[in-house]
Amino acid sequence: MIQLSNVTKQFGTNTAVCDVSFSAKRGDIIGFLGPNGAGKTTTMRMLLGLIAPTSGTVAIHDLDPIANRLQVLPGIGYLPENNPLYEDMMVSEYLSFISQVKRAGKSADIDIIDRVDLSNHINSRISALSRGYRQRVGLAAALIGDPAILVLDEPTSGLDPIEQEKIKSLIKKIAKKKITLFSTHILSEVEDIANRLVIIHKGKLVYDGKKPKKKGSVEKLFKKLVRK
Amino acid sequence: MKALIKKELQFYLNNPIGYIVIILFAVFANFLFIKDLFVIGSASMRPFFDELPWLLMIFVPAITMRMFAEERRTNTLEVLLGLPISELRIVISKFVVSLMVIIISLLLTVALPISLVIFTKQLGAQLYIPELIVGYFGALLLAASFISIGLYFSLRFENQVVSYLFSAITLFILIMFATDFMGSVISGQIQQFLVYFSPVTQLQGFIKGIIDLRSTLYFVNSTALFLFLTITTLERRN
Repeated sequence: MIQLSNVTKQFGTNTAVCDVSFSAKRGDIIGFLGPNGAGKTTTMRMLLGLIAPTSGTVAIHDLDPIANRLQVLPGIGYLPENNPLYEDMMVSEYLSFISQVKRAGKSADIDIIDRVDLSNHINSRISALSRGYRQRVGLAAALIGDPAILVLDEPTSGLDPIEQEKIKSLIKKIAKKKITLFSTHILSEVEDIANRLVIIHKGKLVYDGKKPKKKGSVEKLFKKLVRK
Repeated sequence: MKALIKKELQFYLNNPIGYIVIILFAVFANFLFIKDLFVIGSASMRPFFDELPWLLMIFVPAITMRMFAEERRTNTLEVLLGLPISELRIVISKFVVSLMVIIISLLLTVALPISLVIFTKQLGAQLYIPELIVGYFGALLLAASFISIGLYFSLRFENQVVSYLFSAITLFILIMFATDFMGSVISGQIQQFLVYFSPVTQLQGFIKGIIDLRSTLYFVNSTALFLFLTITTLERRN
């Protein structure tokens, strides 16, 4: 379970996240929405314990992710914004490195490589991969160790529609038994994948609830909330 | 830890800069030694070890500058910190790899003492081998403390050039503490204090073949201090 309680994050005089509270349990696939600069990435980074909240608390399975990062992080798969990767490495080297650090074992590697359809590119250098395949590598790295929580920061950003579709169906497949929090600007993606919506605007939580079922209603809701 | 060291080594050696630094170090070290050998007319490695702090001042920041700065620039530091690895292990792995590069560089200078041993044997003299070994041991301690300073500045700055400059300038100041120039600018107890804190002063015993416990502790402590500062900086979550 993840729990954010009255979380505020200030960078100098700028308040990036203001008094945000929400929680998530197993099976939740949360579409984390908000315009650029709304505080999505900052919130995700606080969840990972990469930055500390100025006030409020973050808990992963009741543990503070900063004080207990070595206990908390094996249970979280994280795809950071813009998917930074070690460009000089081969795909196999990179995944093997992540797998060794997460102590996941070799069989986990092979399973994930198949799931993200990377078998044909395993010996390619990461710098030589297309954006879609790079995204798969990032996703594979997040999935290694079968984490109970997935935090995906714009997993389909910059991909063409075909690649987007592939990544979408992949997330759908893997997210069922996990807690998944994914941010995106593509509202149709949320309609397809998420079962819950969290919307933040100017650092404040403006919606936390079930995803509206009607087609196109996510977009309507989003526009209504962020226009305020 | 093994996986981290392997990654760091790969990160370093997959790039031509790694090889350039090692080769340039070997070329300069060998040249600086040979250039004075026949002028001094003494078969000793002391001139080499005397010049070593200046050489390391130039080359160590070149080795360490990209260790953290590059990870910050490409944002892979976020990947690393999002994995279940302690900050201590991250810093130590980078330190170990930097030290490995320096060891490789120093190994490329081993031809100097070997040729000196052969040379002196032909002349019927003998080179005191333990003095050489202690000299290299001192050089390693010196390099370790310089690496820890370089790593700290590599983490503080995203730009590799800025990181290089800050490391090199800090090392330059530390080396300068022991020079006659500083003695002419600052005098009295402050100067004595600064001379003591210069790594050049602490290296002198090793150059003469003496393992001085105080000097060893100086290098171990300064290395530990900057590694500690690097770890605490990495642990900051602002």
